[in-house]
Amino acid sequence: MSQNHHEKPFLRLDHLKFSYYSNLGEVTVLNDINFTVEKGSFAALVGPSGCGKSTILSLIAGLLKPVDGFITFYSDDFSAPRVGYMLQHDHLLEWRTVYQNITLGLEIQKKKTKENLELVENLLEKYHLSNVKNQKPSALSGGMRQRIALIRTLAIRPDLLLLDEPFSALDYQTRLNVSKDVHDIIKSEQKTAILVTHDITEAISMADVVFVLTKSPCTIKDVIPIEFEANGIQREDIRKSSLFQEYFDKIWREMQDENTEKQLRQQY
Amino acid sequence: MKIRKNSCGSNIEASAPTAGQKRFLRHQKLQKLYIFWSRILIFAAFLMLWQVSADMGWIDSFYFSSPIAISKLFWHDIADMSLLSHIGITLLESGISFLLIILFSLLTATFFWFYPSLGKMFEPFLIVLNSLPKSALAPLIIVWLGTGPRTIILCGISVGIFGCILNLYQSFAQTDPERLKLIETLGGTKLQAFTKVVFPGNIPTFISLSKVNIGLALVGVIIGEFLAGRKGLGYLIIYGSQVFKLDMVILSIVILCVIAMVIYGLLNLLEKKISYTE
Repeated sequence: MSQNHHEKPFLRLDHLKFSYYSNLGEVTVLNDINFTVEKGSFAALVGPSGCGKSTILSLIAGLLKPVDGFITFYSDDFSAPRVGYMLQHDHLLEWRTVYQNITLGLEIQKKKTKENLELVENLLEKYHLSNVKNQKPSALSGGMRQRIALIRTLAIRPDLLLLDEPFSALDYQTRLNVSKDVHDIIKSEQKTAILVTHDITEAISMADVVFVLTKSPCTIKDVIPIEFEANGIQREDIRKSSLFQEYFDKIWREMQDENTEKQLRQQY
Repeated sequence: MKIRKNSCGSNIEASAPTAGQKRFLRHQKLQKLYIFWSRILIFAAFLMLWQVSADMGWIDSFYFSSPIAISKLFWHDIADMSLLSHIGITLLESGISFLLIILFSLLTATFFWFYPSLGKMFEPFLIVLNSLPKSALAPLIIVWLGTGPRTIILCGISVGIFGCILNLYQSFAQTDPERLKLIETLGGTKLQAFTKVVFPGNIPTFISLSKVNIGLALVGVIIGEFLAGRKGLGYLIIYGSQVFKLDMVILSIVILCVIAMVIYGLLNLLEKKISYTE
């Protein structure tokens, strides 16, 4: 399951299981999830909506406890990893300015140190947001708001970024631009990231590796390394390349199989 | 690393006004002035009609009084300071009732937000108390506390408080769970979720509840003064009607109108000042 160009493992999930109880009985959301994410790589989890993709992120972030299995972080200095989470909507607080929104995490963790505030200034400067930092978020476009949400997450210096369908509330055009921006920012900050999405094209264009998930209960059906650079394709051209289409068809077929199998099972 | 301009969107810039734009602005301004002066005119016409009807004997000025008689009484009572102290008492009692409503509702609603099962337990009781006609409680309060300012303030509180707690609690509880998740993902505690998201997010609700409750406090205080007051505008109204000094009754009502108007105006100003969008 590991790729050659990223040698260091960062996060490993072993036999992860999650279920909850409802009036109808025990609902198994995740069953036997295993995967490894390398340091500095960008992984995408693709699967039908409602298959429990977000649950995996909540488990990694520690917001939920698994019923069974392990989540292992590898670190050089035994320190607990800091996890940054990006949600579907930007959730910028409309009574705070852009700057106050970005420093929200630092404020909550009581880490508004000189160093951290300098980092915020640098990020604002680097990603061309300095000119809006004193504005209220209601004045800004959806794409810009999502970029600010990313910087709010980066401000707490996360080791791992979890992106839970962060572009699904944006219109198509904005989505293409922002997903590219977010990808570039994460790469240039050298962060490890896990993206959850139901949009196959988004997964292929952003990730280094795609995990295809099945539905109820969620298991990993296939692991597809995405290798544009190795095949000599520039980032700007990937959406136009035939390799992109190949990846798309492969993932699409796997998600289709899943659907038809399910339908058959329901019929008989 | 370059970020494309089209993904961040530029601000809308106002262009130099064209002739059409100027005409539009002038029309808007005229419309506003027209409405404003029409209101003044309607009010003046009403006062004139009232005065003339009283003078000509179309209505009995003993029962209906007249603007001139009312303003004469106003200046007389202002001069001997008696009116000001009545107004002051009513305002003070309403102010105290209002502050207690807000303080108590805020504390209770916050408490319920931290302990939602407590909120669920108490909700039906609050709903019942809120739908009760609160003036029915006034005689009971008089028996418990006697006549005097304490009773009147409690009457003032009783009208609004149950609704205020309910509304504030429900509004707290409706905070977007995703926002609470955001605080959680940033490592925040429940207290921080309250101070950073729940409370600031509900300030608009808080202001609109204040607007409603300052009116309700005034209603409650007037009811209290009707039944248990020795001073205040509510007392003046009841006393005036009992001794057939209807000038006094109508004057008190007019003053209540003015008080309500001023408070409403002040709260609107406050609301504009705190609102998020600029």
